[in-house]
Amino acid sequence: MDLLKPTRSGTVGIVFAVLGFVFLPILASGQWQQILTSATCFTLAASGVAFMYARLNMVSLGQVALMGVGGWVMLRMNHWLDLPFEVNLAVAGAVTMAFGWVLALPALRMRGLYLALITLMAAGGLEVIFSTFRFPNGGEGFWGVMPSVAAPFRRPVIAESDGAYLRYVIAVTLLGFLVIEAHRRMAPGRAWAMIRKSEAAALASGVNITYYKAWAFGLAGLLAGVAGGLLAGGLGLLDAATFRASESIMLFALAVVGGARLWLGVVIAGVLYRVLPALFNNWSLDADLTLVIFGAALLHALITAPDGLSGQIFGLFGKGRRS
Amino acid sequence: MMELHDLTVKFGGVTALNAVGAQFTKPINGIIGPNGAGKTTAMNVISGFLTCTGSIRHDGDEIGKLPAHKRTRWGLRRSFQREQIADDLTIEENLRVILDVLPMSAAQKRADMDRALEATGLADRAGEQAAGLATFDRRLVDIARCLVGKPRVIMFDEAGGGMSREETERLGHVLARIPDLTDAITLVIDHDVDLIRAICSDTLVLDFGKRIAFGPTDEVLDDPRVKAAYLGIGETA
Amino acid sequence: MSRVLPYVGFLALMVVAYVLLAAGKPIAVAGLFLVSGFAVGSLYALGGIGLVVLYRATGVLNLALGAMGALGVMVAWQLQQVGVPQWITWIAALAVAIALSLFYGRYIAPLLAWRDPVVKAVATLGFALIVLGVTAFAWEDDVRKFALPTDALAVRILGLRVTITRMIVIGAAFALVAGIWLYLERTRTGLQMRALANNRDISAMIGVRILRVESIAWIIAGAIAGFIGLMFGDLVRLEPVVITFMVIPSVAAAICGRLDNLGLVLIGGLSMGVVESLLTLSPLLKSVRPVAPYLIAAVVLLLMQRNTRLLFAKD
Repeated sequence: MDLLKPTRSGTVGIVFAVLGFVFLPILASGQWQQILTSATCFTLAASGVAFMYARLNMVSLGQVALMGVGGWVMLRMNHWLDLPFEVNLAVAGAVTMAFGWVLALPALRMRGLYLALITLMAAGGLEVIFSTFRFPNGGEGFWGVMPSVAAPFRRPVIAESDGAYLRYVIAVTLLGFLVIEAHRRMAPGRAWAMIRKSEAAALASGVNITYYKAWAFGLAGLLAGVAGGLLAGGLGLLDAATFRASESIMLFALAVVGGARLWLGVVIAGVLYRVLPALFNNWSLDADLTLVIFGAALLHALITAPDGLSGQIFGLFGKGRRS
Repeated sequence: MMELHDLTVKFGGVTALNAVGAQFTKPINGIIGPNGAGKTTAMNVISGFLTCTGSIRHDGDEIGKLPAHKRTRWGLRRSFQREQIADDLTIEENLRVILDVLPMSAAQKRADMDRALEATGLADRAGEQAAGLATFDRRLVDIARCLVGKPRVIMFDEAGGGMSREETERLGHVLARIPDLTDAITLVIDHDVDLIRAICSDTLVLDFGKRIAFGPTDEVLDDPRVKAAYLGIGETA
Repeated sequence: MSRVLPYVGFLALMVVAYVLLAAGKPIAVAGLFLVSGFAVGSLYALGGIGLVVLYRATGVLNLALGAMGALGVMVAWQLQQVGVPQWITWIAALAVAIALSLFYGRYIAPLLAWRDPVVKAVATLGFALIVLGVTAFAWEDDVRKFALPTDALAVRILGLRVTITRMIVIGAAFALVAGIWLYLERTRTGLQMRALANNRDISAMIGVRILRVESIAWIIAGAIAGFIGLMFGDLVRLEPVVITFMVIPSVAAAICGRLDNLGLVLIGGLSMGVVESLLTLSPLLKSVRPVAPYLIAAVVLLLMQRNTRLLFAKD
């Protein structure tokens, strides 16, 4: 497959991103720009779990916890050195990628249920760390936490307003999707497909399983770290409750609901995760009911719709398969 | 020349391979034996999926100590009883994954894949998704994968198992062409004695993990000990 | 020998934790944390046992265990508010959890019968979200208290006052392991359950009535879930979200028994609770003590995967 040749669904995706880039900040106002920014950040993080699930059949239940790592590093950098936003974001991504590798160590010889469980254990551990040490807000010392007030957060120079920052996040997220798609079309994607089939298939293809599994964890970590860093930029400060283990579970569940194989599925995951509860709030409905909807949608997707909602939507428009 | 020397594998108290040795010098060789004789164990040992004592040499290279994926990079190819091709990839990508790590130019890789696809009759379907393929076509892809990247040793594990007569014949034609396409030493592991007789020059016979005969196929198949090994179990020809 | 080794390992872990963290402290202080550790550990172990019993019999890792217990205990609390006799409320809690468990086992689990274990586990998550959503919707966030009469009763052990509720939790964990072991060893359905755990296809062929045996497993798991809900609501916190996600440390306990061995689940869960509780005595590690279960589970997983190869295996 040509590296640069767009597929039909890919073209639709890019058009979708461009439309969002141009119109969302105009149509949405105030609080909704923030909600959409959060939703886009979680979309980027969800793309990490989604490619792991769709390409390697690996269930990662620790993605939001990894976002927390990225967010922590981002805030730490912001309140420590006077570096530009982009440098901090790169550091946040790199550190989280390294975290992904550490997480990969025990997971290298595992698959299926045990792999999911080890990521869940990591998420559980990180939840405790976050709620104990909390997120830097400009205080003294390594943990950098001060009570009540928070020091200001520096957004990118080119995107200081909420609207401009939303565009910035959409652009980075699109970039993340393109990186994943490039992987799929190149050697790592082929190696992952063999690993997904079986270890025997991978070995008989000359694929170094350890290397490519670690690569996948690193990439998922990088995406989570950047997403966490962007989320920190959107809100200015972070709360430990955002990164509970249950949130990691939820994000994976929603990636399945949306459909992990397709870009639209990942976007649906981000929207369901952040926009639907906000809508319920606006309509004065109890946000707890979104849990019921998510749960039912998850069962529905697992039982009857292997490609999730996005698969059903693309199904309506004929053969627009693959991201 | 490929040489197996003193290959021994133990699973707990069971000896699955017992000091098996053989020198394969012909382009196509067979390995036969009744169920449980150790054929697949031998294959997994040569692939590096199982550890063993003894040595596996090919023209002076000792490959018995390499990790499995490095053996593939060195030039070992194999097919599987239940083919192991990736559903999310196209036919061509299933071949390309083997070439990805090999030091060849893009043009060489292209030519190499085209040759393998043509030999297996898959050339005009190279872009198809593997997920939609019929069983026999999946087998062909598994075999085509064995032909790319300058293979030095190719092993087919019951490539003809469960095939119709017509399919087995087509398969035989593809296998018989391998010496024209590559310089590899090919090992065909099968129940089907007719297939072995038709294409293999030399044949190794295993029973209960031991070598009971090795030599030119026709002689070996007439050996009374070989007949005895098959007696009562029945040839699945 | 190698069968005993893991037990020795968990025991040694507890001893080492005690020596390192509590050795210099007065016995009353150390004992207090030890007992509280046993109580918390028993809760983890109970959850782990509930998970493993069901996983062995049905292949489903039920991540909705906590959610089922949460709805059960909330119903019990509600009934207490309107003056229903206590013992009826307890039965109601168990009945609710059993009903939820059996419903899932009968009507939803069969739809996923031939899928990977991980897909089955994720599906129970969907059920957990539904149950949690309904529970949280029905009972708005509020500070509630669920008390058992056994809280007021206590015995003195080594000069320490230990409530009967804690004794019940610890005793229940041991009794359950013993009871389930007896059940699996001595009864016909127990034998069939073990057969099912070993090989489903063959079990069906030799006449194991899978549906019946699985239903029993779902009932047992539901009853355990209801019991955990009651105990957790009393001992820790009466909050649906918290009880729902207590399944995560329960998974850690289940991992200690490799999702298979109930004895190891018990001692693994206990050691997790003890280490966690004793860490309170360390000024340095006090605040991160809840990490202990996950760390222990991660180490167990690391040890488990040595020398494994997964050439074609699904799991």
